[in-house]
Amino acid sequence: MSFLSKVSVRSPWLYRINAGSCNGCDVELATTALIPRYDVERLGCQYCGTPKHADIVLITGPLTARIKDKVLQVYQEIPDPKVTIAVGICPISGGVFRDSYAIEGPIDKYIDVDVNIPGCPPRPQAILEGIAMAIEIWKQRL
Amino acid sequence: MMLEVMNTLILKAVLAPLVLFPVAAAVLVFGLLLKGVDRIVVARLQRRVGPPLLQPFFDILKLMSKQSMVPIGAPRTLFLALPMIGACSMCLAIALVPIVGVYEPNGQFGDLIVLLYLLTVPAIVLMLAGSASGSTFGAIGFSREMSLMLAYEGPLLLVLISVAMKTGLAQGDLITFSLMDIVHYQQDNGSFLFDPWMWPAVLAYLSIIPANLGIPPFDIPEAESEVLEGPLCEYSGPALALFKIMSTMKTMVVLALGIVMFIPGNATGMMALIGFVFKCLILFLLTKSLLRASVGRMRIDQAFLFYFKWPELLGIVGLLLVVFKG
Repeated sequence: MSFLSKVSVRSPWLYRINAGSCNGCDVELATTALIPRYDVERLGCQYCGTPKHADIVLITGPLTARIKDKVLQVYQEIPDPKVTIAVGICPISGGVFRDSYAIEGPIDKYIDVDVNIPGCPPRPQAILEGIAMAIEIWKQRL
Repeated sequence: MMLEVMNTLILKAVLAPLVLFPVAAAVLVFGLLLKGVDRIVVARLQRRVGPPLLQPFFDILKLMSKQSMVPIGAPRTLFLALPMIGACSMCLAIALVPIVGVYEPNGQFGDLIVLLYLLTVPAIVLMLAGSASGSTFGAIGFSREMSLMLAYEGPLLLVLISVAMKTGLAQGDLITFSLMDIVHYQQDNGSFLFDPWMWPAVLAYLSIIPANLGIPPFDIPEAESEVLEGPLCEYSGPALALFKIMSTMKTMVVLALGIVMFIPGNATGMMALIGFVFKCLILFLLTKSLLRASVGRMRIDQAFLFYFKWPELLGIVGLLLVVFKG
């Protein structure tokens, strides 16, 4: 493990993709897991606005048919090495939308998911733990 | 494998000038430390733990080891050259600013006018970067950066001329643009900060700093939640790291220029260095951390009007006071 990768582990930047989510998980991500009370910044995380800057991708939502192509396109724009986290039950199995004609999920048909965070929506503590696990996986990829 | 070779090359290309010019390297390290302090202070103001002090170093090194992507349709050479031009211009600019008692630039090298031109380079580089990336968000960033620049360049010019005229009139010329003359005059006659007639200029300079450095409420061109970081939208890896280095160096140039123009002090040697660090810290916390922790983002038209009303007015009043009081 080189010096650069040892240091890089301490600066994972987060990026959120909404694949047709009901916004519940997004609210948990944006206003709970990333607010002062549950501070992910202490792990060196930073919430970035564009996929080009991201290291860890958080995907929410069951991957609806209309949004599938766009999600895959945005996912491709994220530079390697990257780690993917599925947040909430929807991207993992489809959740309450399972077997619906409108969804293309689960998301691991198209994207290799590294960490699953189940819940509807997951608790902030679970999201933080998921991010910590993703950092461990990212360490091996560098 | 190719990627690793390329990244190592870029890393060496960045490190070589810094090794050749140790002042820039030292200033860069100090700037990054200041940024770390800023992030911790903001975190504590929001009652959370915050990142480690060395977080900006980790970020830059992380970016150095990532992939650098060029979007399809973007001019490759220009796209990758822009961050280098920006970082180099700021390394040059820091060479022109004296750190009183520690580092004294050669007067032949350039004066306040050259510095003013160099200070506009990062904004122009960001504008070009936004339009060269071919992205819509980059284009919006371009237009916002341009409006903001038009708004703050005027007061900045007025402040620099006030300081230059104050020194020049006192020395018998009309105006002097030599930074060392300004420092020597203040060392003999007291800092401008303690002269009430200069306070409008000081206030104008303080209010320009946030727009010049892209600090909330004036981080409108790089608003990550509305225009996806604007001009930096398409940049990744080492190129983005160079932009981070550029903004850190620009922070240091603007802080050091403020210190030189208004409160250079008389100390030499170690005391001067400690004094410089202390002044930088105060100015930085005042104009960056406290603002960043306490306000949201303005709209571009509000920011534009704000700069046309208040800092412009302060600048004009400051200049008139200098002209009529001498």
